Amino acid sequence: MAAQRGVLFQEKVSRLLSKQHGRPVLKPNKPLVLKDEVANRRVKRGGASCVTEISVLMACWKQNSFVESVCSAEMKAFYSCVDEAQAAKKNTSELSGVQGERLPPKQATLLLKRFPNLRTEI
Amino acid sequence: MAASISGLLKPWTPRVFLVRWSRYNPYYLEPEVRKEAYIKPEAELSAEEKEQRELKSLRPIKAATNDVTSSVFNDPVISKFVGMMMLDGNKILANEIIAKTLENIKRKQVDKYHKAPEGTKEEIECNPYAIFHQALENCKPVVGLASIQKGGKFYQVPIPLSDDRRRHLAMKWIITECRESKHRRTLMYEKLSQELLAAFVREGNVIKKKLAMHKMAEANRAYAHYRWA
Repeated sequence: MAAQRGVLFQEKVSRLLSKQHGRPVLKPNKPLVLKDEVANRRVKRGGASCVTEISVLMACWKQNSFVESVCSAEMKAFYSCVDEAQAAKKNTSELSGVQGERLPPKQATLLLKRFPNLRTEI
Repeated sequence: MAASISGLLKPWTPRVFLVRWSRYNPYYLEPEVRKEAYIKPEAELSAEEKEQRELKSLRPIKAATNDVTSSVFNDPVISKFVGMMMLDGNKILANEIIAKTLENIKRKQVDKYHKAPEGTKEEIECNPYAIFHQALENCKPVVGLASIQKGGKFYQVPIPLSDDRRRHLAMKWIITECRESKHRRTLMYEKLSQELLAAFVREGNVIKKKLAMHKMAEANRAYAHYRWA
């Protein structure tokens, strides 16, 4: 079915280019061939992590006029939260190769470069 | 005299040759220079460390740079500080400044030690490396500010910083402080030793700068939700 659709599309393109019925609709200056790469999409960053820890730490600072030695427990909690968040991000970024049943753009480009599109007929 | 004249006639060749490239295949592993990593007997290794050793026996390893040594005096933090202080590639001068700084710190602390009354002698820290590390720790900020754009405006949002970033900020603040705000005739090592000793007891301009950063973050804590990841 995909092959049929491809053939029909090529016929439509050749009709648009032909000069048999008056002026051609398309006058391309470059060959009508797709590029061997995909545009990079901007990675949408996820939600804010460790917000509660930050607010707790800042409340402690505000109370004790920014003396560090008093807030050591909150600081430790904050650092452990940050470490966990980083580890979680690392794990998810390794696994999220498939983003919504779609290949990530870098891998798509790699595959397209390995099997490039034909640009000339010979 | 004949030897020196004939020495001048020879073409100049450098004494140290660079063996390490700067762009390696990601397949190459980093070299482990510390002796402690190799002294451990087989029984004490955890499963991960055993895996690491297996991997190291199979993969190629990058050449070590000229800065790292396996001696007891090699300190990666001090090497990083020296690199940050270096100007125009003059690492010899940067190294000398740091050496003089540590010597200066030691002199001041030993002086304090001998003048202190009997009870307080044990509390005085004389090891300049310990003082350097503690001062650096005291200067590291806990949270940093990032400029994030939302709805056309830029907000200063408090974010957690990575360890490397915190260390970099602390070192940069110390160096900028010592370069810019000192008396015209004070040499760099003198000013550095003063700042490090002040940071050791949580005083001085670098600590003030860190507290200013914390205060800004605290003032903008409402924007913490604007941080994506």
